Amino acid sequence: MKVRRSTAARLTWVVWACAASGAAAQTLPSEPIALAGGHVTVSGDVSASYGCEPAPDRACREDVGFFNFTDYSHSALRELRIGVSAAVKAGPHFSVLSEVRTDNFSDVQPYALYLRIRPWTSHDFDLQVGRVPPTFGSFARRTYANDNPLIGYPLAYQYLTTLRPDALPASADELLAKRSSGWLVRYSVGDPTPVQGVPLVSAFRWDTGVQGHGVIGIVSATASLTTGTVAHPLFRDDNDGRQIATRVELRPVSGLVAGTSFARGTFVSQAATRAALGAEADDSPYTQLAWGGDVEYSRAYYVIRAETIVSQWRLPIAATPARQLPIRDPLTAVATSIEGRYKLRPGLYTAARFDHLGFSDLTGATVTEPWDAPVTRVEIGGGYSLQRNLILKFSYQRNVRDGGFLQQKASFISTQVVYWF
Amino acid sequence: MAGIATTAPTGQPLRSRWPRAATEVRAALATAAAFVVLMATGGAFATVTPKGTVLAARPGAIRGRVELRRVATAAERRPTVGELGTPVGRDVPDLLRSVVYLESAPRGAFETSDGGHAVMDQRNETFVPHVLAITTGTTVDFPNSDKFYHNVFSLSKPRTFDLGRYAAGRTRDVRFDRPGIVRVFCEIHSHMNAFILVFSHPFFALTENDGRYRIENVPPGTYGVIAWNEGSSSETKSVTVPDGGTGELDFTIR
Repeated sequence: MKVRRSTAARLTWVVWACAASGAAAQTLPSEPIALAGGHVTVSGDVSASYGCEPAPDRACREDVGFFNFTDYSHSALRELRIGVSAAVKAGPHFSVLSEVRTDNFSDVQPYALYLRIRPWTSHDFDLQVGRVPPTFGSFARRTYANDNPLIGYPLAYQYLTTLRPDALPASADELLAKRSSGWLVRYSVGDPTPVQGVPLVSAFRWDTGVQGHGVIGIVSATASLTTGTVAHPLFRDDNDGRQIATRVELRPVSGLVAGTSFARGTFVSQAATRAALGAEADDSPYTQLAWGGDVEYSRAYYVIRAETIVSQWRLPIAATPARQLPIRDPLTAVATSIEGRYKLRPGLYTAARFDHLGFSDLTGATVTEPWDAPVTRVEIGGGYSLQRNLILKFSYQRNVRDGGFLQQKASFISTQVVYWF
Repeated sequence: MAGIATTAPTGQPLRSRWPRAATEVRAALATAAAFVVLMATGGAFATVTPKGTVLAARPGAIRGRVELRRVATAAERRPTVGELGTPVGRDVPDLLRSVVYLESAPRGAFETSDGGHAVMDQRNETFVPHVLAITTGTTVDFPNSDKFYHNVFSLSKPRTFDLGRYAAGRTRDVRFDRPGIVRVFCEIHSHMNAFILVFSHPFFALTENDGRYRIENVPPGTYGVIAWNEGSSSETKSVTVPDGGTGELDFTIR
């Protein structure tokens, strides 16, 4: 599904052409472009972030501890993201929605592309087929940069653990040796190429499948059947398994949303399972199982959100080398975040997020410790609206990693400009 | 509402046409006489001739029609890519109504006053009315008639405000003390927007859906008049309001 690199430049041109077509007076356009009598709507979203870690020599250092990386070459704090979304309405029952993105002018990625079907216009029930929004959790559907009050992402949705779906550690000792290297990790079983691990839930790719969503009173429920898992959404399947995900939301009073999510899907690729267990091995038991609970309350000038996600992976037990121990138990990770935003005056707000990501203990031949290095993050910042759809954000972020061989503490000062129409 | 007419039909202050040697007493007498006539006529306007003769002047009106060559389209909802289902339906705002106003008004019209209250409702994810024209000093109520939160705000220079999030059945209000155009938005629903035009004089009117308008109680004189619709303004046109009569003026926008 990758598109040629040169199209990134075209996408940039499309965004600015759309913006220019609606330009009025000195202000940037703030409304989506409507075509074909409103049947086609196009909107754009541009965000440019720049963050650095103040070094002793006063240099502006990049994130050498890889706290904010989303893969080996992209940091969420140094990113130019351009996205174009479109909705095509074909009557009251059908619409097609899509979003394409490019990060730092790299390949244009189809972030979302799906058909939304509303079988009965009198009922709040929809079917969505294609590359659909994540059923699980509360953050990954915040598609626009202005939906995130800060610049960094919650750890559960961004921090790269050392697990990979296509490569496996042969033993507990091999996994423990990789602690904190999720940004570029290599294992002895499966694909030998070093690439990044997965977060608990990916906010940067969406899964492919079918999704149903209905609302009755204060309850809304969603269920989906997709190709990948919450940590590793896919367009083309790499194993024979599917993921089932559900989410139930309650809105008992204005401003209060409480949600709970569940997902279970085959995580390890067929190639990795066979590399570990042999050509006839069944990949279906090697799953990611995730639970989540989230709550949001807003009133007057503040919004508070809290979310906890528990993820558990089961890996095949490969032929363990001598004097090393196998990974027998599921690997568990727990992420908790609390986020708040408060408006100080029109156009100016302050925000903060506390985040912790912990891992279950794993026993190796010589040591028992969390299978990846736990991370705690605090981010404090704010935003100022230069105009309604042009926001300047700033933040200070402090990261502490307990263990691993990479830098264990890092602070970042970042700024971000967000423009949307 | 209309104040004492202190401008000549040409729009120039009366005092400037008097010889500089005219005494303060003469001016004071003229003003006093005008006040007396105003009281006697129950609110009609007074015109003072150069010789100091005070004449009662009856207010007139300006009427006409505003034609929109191209009707603006309502702001569409941003593609709801991240939504798990179809968003709640919404009403489409009425974009046909324009505002016609005097570019400059008689000086007496600028006297500050308590403009009273006006209402801009939030209903089915739409501000109703979409355009509000008020005088300075007016307080606008923003009730929330939807079942969910809204967050009304404006970053416009004449009046910045943010009312925060509030639930169905609740209301917040804002007083507008400076003239200008205020764009109003909802922070939660990006397609919701409205205009509030704040005038320092009362000589303006909203058109009907067919474009017709009528500005009442205009003192006799010649005025520049402008029509406005969805951020676009017409050229200034001149119209003369006769004593007790009606000036006719049509506009075309875009």
